Amino acid sequence: MTEPGCILVIDDEPQIRRALKNALGEVFERVVEAGTATEGIDLAATAQPDLIILDLGLPDMPGVEVCQEIRRWAATPIIVLSARHAEQEKVSLLTAGADDYVTKPFSTRELIARVQAHLRRARAQHTIPSDGPLEVGDLTIDLARRVIARGEERLRLTPIEWNILRALVMAAGRTLTHRQIFEAVWGRGPGDPQQYLRVHVTNLRRKIEPNPGAPRYVVTEPGVGYRFELTA
Amino acid sequence: MTVRIGRWVLWFGMVALVTAVLVPVRSEADQSYIPLAYLLIVLGGSLGAGHRLGFALATVSFLVIDFFLQTPYNRVLTFGRPADFVTLAAFYAVAGVASRLLASARHERDLALLRAEQVTALSLERERLIAEVEHVAALREAERMKDFVLTSVSHDLRTPLTTIKALAQEEQRTGTSRAAEIEEQADRLSGMVSDLLDLSRLRSGTFGVEAELNAAEDVIGAAIRQVQGILNGRTVSAVIDARAPALYGHFDFLLTLRILGNLIENALKVTAPGSAVEVSPSRDERGLVIGVADRGPGVPEVERERIFEPFYRPQGGPPDHGRAGLGLAIARALAEAQGGSIGSRPRAGGGTVFEVILPAADEPGPDPQPGPGRILVDS
Repeated sequence: MTEPGCILVIDDEPQIRRALKNALGEVFERVVEAGTATEGIDLAATAQPDLIILDLGLPDMPGVEVCQEIRRWAATPIIVLSARHAEQEKVSLLTAGADDYVTKPFSTRELIARVQAHLRRARAQHTIPSDGPLEVGDLTIDLARRVIARGEERLRLTPIEWNILRALVMAAGRTLTHRQIFEAVWGRGPGDPQQYLRVHVTNLRRKIEPNPGAPRYVVTEPGVGYRFELTA
Repeated sequence: MTVRIGRWVLWFGMVALVTAVLVPVRSEADQSYIPLAYLLIVLGGSLGAGHRLGFALATVSFLVIDFFLQTPYNRVLTFGRPADFVTLAAFYAVAGVASRLLASARHERDLALLRAEQVTALSLERERLIAEVEHVAALREAERMKDFVLTSVSHDLRTPLTTIKALAQEEQRTGTSRAAEIEEQADRLSGMVSDLLDLSRLRSGTFGVEAELNAAEDVIGAAIRQVQGILNGRTVSAVIDARAPALYGHFDFLLTLRILGNLIENALKVTAPGSAVEVSPSRDERGLVIGVADRGPGVPEVERERIFEPFYRPQGGPPDHGRAGLGLAIARALAEAQGGSIGSRPRAGGGTVFEVILPAADEPGPDPQPGPGRILVDS
């Protein structure tokens, strides 16, 4: 029993490509593969995949450029695979349009879970801001009416907390960098975005999370930013 | 000193000699030649030994001429003719000019010597600086090479590990019984690679520390999230008092996350399935304290410090206990790199509490002015 969806794997290591193809093929309808960035970009256009898995160590083009190239004409979710555990690289990739970042060695189970989460998010995308309140866990969030409730209890957020939550919810499932959130809330400008953001996120979590020390909704992507989890 | 006295004796001897020669012939000799003889002595003395001898010779010569060689003989300061004073003035002038020439010649010589010394010193300094610059460049190059090697080693090791892991997972799905063990060992190897890289970066001091204002519960939440995959029926819970204000510290988020990750992993190793590891922040006079508490067998007093040594294995511990015994050593080095510390104490009711102590901070002041706000619209 496979889920609908086409996954494009761009990786120059044939073994990883094979392993990913086998693992993903058990879950999804169709898996296409490319061994170079050029071939991958072509396939991204011709095969119309629902999601792209992109290895950063490609010989013919830097990963950031591949992301930017695909983002010029497609909103397809991109999950990046990297052997380096470097936060700065994550930030630049997310800014270039990648949706997620998985560090090697990863488990295929985890990767499949992330692929499913991004596919769900991509399908739900259009429904989030417009179609009435969003229900996630015990939270009900109505972006249009600026109302948030936990169970029956209505929560009071400050305008800044509300703006942070709105930015995160509208990109739910995708990590926003500190800078991206800061610009969405305070506008472009100088200042250390992280410090203020951390304090407001801490306050926001204390209002919406059952346990602020183990957040379910607003999770931290260490060194990169925050993400709103729809699967909480 | 003896040289100078010798010169004085020599030149006054010359005066005496010339006088001795001239006195017997003083009546026949041409009076205009006599001062010339002495003038030569004054000139010689001034050039040979400077202005003091020059003027002394000029004075003495004048007196000798006046006393012995000028009529009336054998009488001092006869002031016979005004021309005598012209002679005296000429003697002094010669002494003065000659010794001035001498002095300036000496000065130039000294200056030349000094310059020569300076040039030598400068060229030595230049050579030293060049050597130093070359040394620094070599060190930088070595550091760069080391970073490059570490990065490529980590990349080259992680890529095949990913393949091994992926293949093992594939085999697990087809029912191969030992595939799970292969995956586990691949994970262990990858953990060891990270540890060794971190330890070598810590040792070489290339670990960048970015201490910033952070909430304790933020880093605790991230750490707990990170260990979800290795729980195996055990739980890790954050114990936060939501009624009390949030606790903040001045620390590097990623390094602290690494410390907590290592401590929680260690705590999980001694925690039985069904039990919990508790992580809780507090603030006291030592600073911001994050405690990781387990219900394990505890750490004997004698081992309390030794467990933080690299590659230390507790007595009688299982052979695969800990990743090559590096976790706690790395945690301590990371805490100290941020101006913090790490230690352990027995837990009431059994078990151990590992405590990370970091510089505490207060909640910051007012926000920057809220701007118009750009709404993020997902493409």
